[in-house]
Amino acid sequence: MELKDKLEILADAAKYDASCASSGAPKRDSVDKDGLGATNGMGICHSYTPDGRCVSLLKILLTNFCVYDCQYCVNRRTSNVPRARFSVDEVVKLTHDFYLRNYIDGLFLSSGIIQSSDYTMEQLVDVARRLREDHQFRGYIHLKTIPDADPRLIELAGRYADRLSVNIELPTQDSVTKLAPEKSVHTIKLAMGSIRARLDEKDDHPKAPVFAPAGQSTQMIVGADASDDRTILHTAQTLYGSYKLKRVYYSAFSPIPQSPSSVPSAPPPLLREHRLYQADFLLRGYGFTAKELMPAAGNLALDIDPKLGWALANRAHFPLDLNRADESMIARVPGIGLRTAKRLIDLRRLRRIRWEDLSRLRCSLKKLAPFVITADYKPAQGAASSDLLRRNLADAPRQMNLWPELQAA
Amino acid sequence: MMAVRRAVDTFAEWREAARELLVHGIPPEQVTWSAPHMDDLLAGGDLFTGAPPAAEASDNPSIPPPPTEPPDEPLRPAPHIPRSLMEMLQAAACCRVPDRWAFLYRVIWRWQQGEHDVQSPADEDGARLHAMVKAVHREEHDMHAYIRFRERPEEAGPPRFVAWYEPRHDVLPQVAEHFVSRMGKVSWMIATPEASVLWDGHTLHNTGPLVRDAADLEDTGEALWLTYYRSVFNPARLNTDVMHQHIPSHRWKNLPEAKIVPQMVSEAALGARKVGQYEAVGQRKGTTIPIAPDDAQPERQQPSKLDECRRCELWQFATQAVGGEGPKRAKIMFVGEQPGDQEDLAGQPFVGPAGKLLDRVCEAAGVDRDTIYVTNAVKHFKWEPRGKRRLHKTPVQREIEACHYWLDKELASVKPTVVVALGATALKSVLRTANVTLKDSLGKPLRHEGRWVVTTYHPSYVLRVPGEEAKRAAFNTMVEGLKLAHDLLHRPTETPDA
Ligand code: SF4
Repeated sequence: MELKDKLEILADAAKYDASCASSGAPKRDSVDKDGLGATNGMGICHSYTPDGRCVSLLKILLTNFCVYDCQYCVNRRTSNVPRARFSVDEVVKLTHDFYLRNYIDGLFLSSGIIQSSDYTMEQLVDVARRLREDHQFRGYIHLKTIPDADPRLIELAGRYADRLSVNIELPTQDSVTKLAPEKSVHTIKLAMGSIRARLDEKDDHPKAPVFAPAGQSTQMIVGADASDDRTILHTAQTLYGSYKLKRVYYSAFSPIPQSPSSVPSAPPPLLREHRLYQADFLLRGYGFTAKELMPAAGNLALDIDPKLGWALANRAHFPLDLNRADESMIARVPGIGLRTAKRLIDLRRLRRIRWEDLSRLRCSLKKLAPFVITADYKPAQGAASSDLLRRNLADAPRQMNLWPELQAA
Repeated sequence: MMAVRRAVDTFAEWREAARELLVHGIPPEQVTWSAPHMDDLLAGGDLFTGAPPAAEASDNPSIPPPPTEPPDEPLRPAPHIPRSLMEMLQAAACCRVPDRWAFLYRVIWRWQQGEHDVQSPADEDGARLHAMVKAVHREEHDMHAYIRFRERPEEAGPPRFVAWYEPRHDVLPQVAEHFVSRMGKVSWMIATPEASVLWDGHTLHNTGPLVRDAADLEDTGEALWLTYYRSVFNPARLNTDVMHQHIPSHRWKNLPEAKIVPQMVSEAALGARKVGQYEAVGQRKGTTIPIAPDDAQPERQQPSKLDECRRCELWQFATQAVGGEGPKRAKIMFVGEQPGDQEDLAGQPFVGPAGKLLDRVCEAAGVDRDTIYVTNAVKHFKWEPRGKRRLHKTPVQREIEACHYWLDKELASVKPTVVVALGATALKSVLRTANVTLKDSLGKPLRHEGRWVVTTYHPSYVLRVPGEEAKRAAFNTMVEGLKLAHDLLHRPTETPDA
């Protein structure tokens, strides 16, 4: 099979993995060095495909042969898909060639399970090792970890890769048992735990050998099972706390060719995925807990974002006096982000905050109006019911600019 | 009042000039800024600012401006500009707006006058400054992201890779640095309408403006890239708005993938949208993998019965159940509260700091820890999130009750003569009642279900209690407790309850 054909099949097979970021690696460069590659910690998206997702890494499977039969996965053994397998050399060469042309920041490599977990993991590690050692590649490498693989292989993977990930895929043990009979949440958690233990070791002993400096991440598929957003967020919170995950990626389930009857035939609304990302961001960046965001069973509202949802359910905290409140509370105001909260605190040291400041800081005025007090403003809607506010503030059906021009400076 | 004219081309020149003007206290209204190389082009006309060339302006930038202030006013001290502001000014200076130098001077002047909110985006000038910086950074970012190198045939000699780009702001120098760090010793060139840079593998060379070569290079790498771009796209998620939101329209024309986007979109809209698979892949012959479900099962240790326990909710949030450890016929059994963060990862009891302290207690009491069976009242780690960490949370009676099932099994199989309850939770579990307090039973051994029960502190308490004095006292209490447990091994069981 031609390289191009393999690429077609093995990129197609890898696209259901939502992780794509190339951020978090330590700074590296190739000035006056043999080999190739730099990382600046930030990560760059080199393109966007018409599904709106970014291309920052060469995201492929080493092979889509797989002995497992996970129902949500296009590569399950009972799926009738074309199969292919890259050689280690081919992956190395593709990564190199794409990198030189500035298409990508590095490699995200995953694989179907072939022969055994250890064998598969060895192959993945081999690609990374060849890139790093034989080709002095300093770009980003993300390896998908096979949970059942020998911890020594995982340790080796962490030596070469910037990031490791173990995908939990489904938020509950029951769903895993049902839809991914060969997988086990127990071993997935153990693998994440062993990665965290290594990351801790590196933190405690800075001289220890490099280990996955960009940390670990995971992915959860949304809408392949019946789990609600509350369950998903609680699982995410458990994973963040327990295994120091950098990111949990949410991937709305895509119906796959010849879908088995055990999974739905229609995708969940993509907006659900979007709301989960927003809620996740609140968990990671704003100090919200899953319980605060989702006190009861069910899904996140689709018509309002989770922060507004929380504010409407917790009116007692509002309106908040922006000239007195502390930063973390200001950041909880709908329409005010972490950066704006910090800017307001900075500005407050110079003078009192006025309504006009909020407009200059490009806050969403309509959204925050019922929730803040400034030197010259008190909300009139103070007594309005949350339901009424919600109706006023709900997202209008989204209309986006097709070709937004850069705003002139 | 005399107007002053300043001609600058670079940020360094502007900074020199601005410093001088500030020292002389010349307000922005009196300064006309121009860019000499532009002046050459425009034969002196000040097209960009729209202002007529000031007749009385001093045209030569090397001559210091005439003193404009009354002679009794001394020169002002050189300005102290914070680094953060300087960095913003420097970035904003790359923004191609006609009045950039005048604007920057106005900002720095206002700062010097004590108007420090000029740096805040809530200020009018500040907002513009932030917007300029943002536009420049955005341009740098776009250039890092959307430059596409094409490979030239080896026979053609260096540079091996060439790229064409049309930046909207003056960011080529910093962008070149980015590619220097990225490409190692590979030679490349980036051409733009205003200037070009060439990297020969060791040194950067500035070359003049280049006109884009009409005949684009053929590059086989590009065909593979398009294949990749097509295949990673998921037609089931077609969402072109977001794509266009991220890549501004003027960028697309130089991206090779732009040519195939319309076709991809229409194919997706035509039906491929139902399944995520790329059409060309769907057309190939598929294969299933003939392997029996049993053979597909990975070899792994069967989870223990304990790990499968669902008597309470705690298992959901923990990594694994942590059972007891120690000799199967140990005479002394330590019962702690529950595994902690590290025990949860390791799957063993008392391996963290509390475990280390327990070692020291054993040593001080002269008891070999290896002869003791160590376990916990509750087998799964109970915690609550605190930022990015797990904070230990005390189990409630219901959970202690539920988990007693396992402790009971351990007691029945190890048959210890003495049980040492470490802390209140352990005590409640061992005595199977919520109505006991640590205080009342400290140091008083009791008989319970045919065994001695000794109560002492939990090692975490010793680690946590504030004050050296209190720590030492608590530690000693633990040592005494262990000594007592050891003595009880030899006490006849008929001894009345203490
Ligand atoms: S804490 Fe105890 S009772 Fe609860 S699930 Fe774990 S082992 Fe079972």
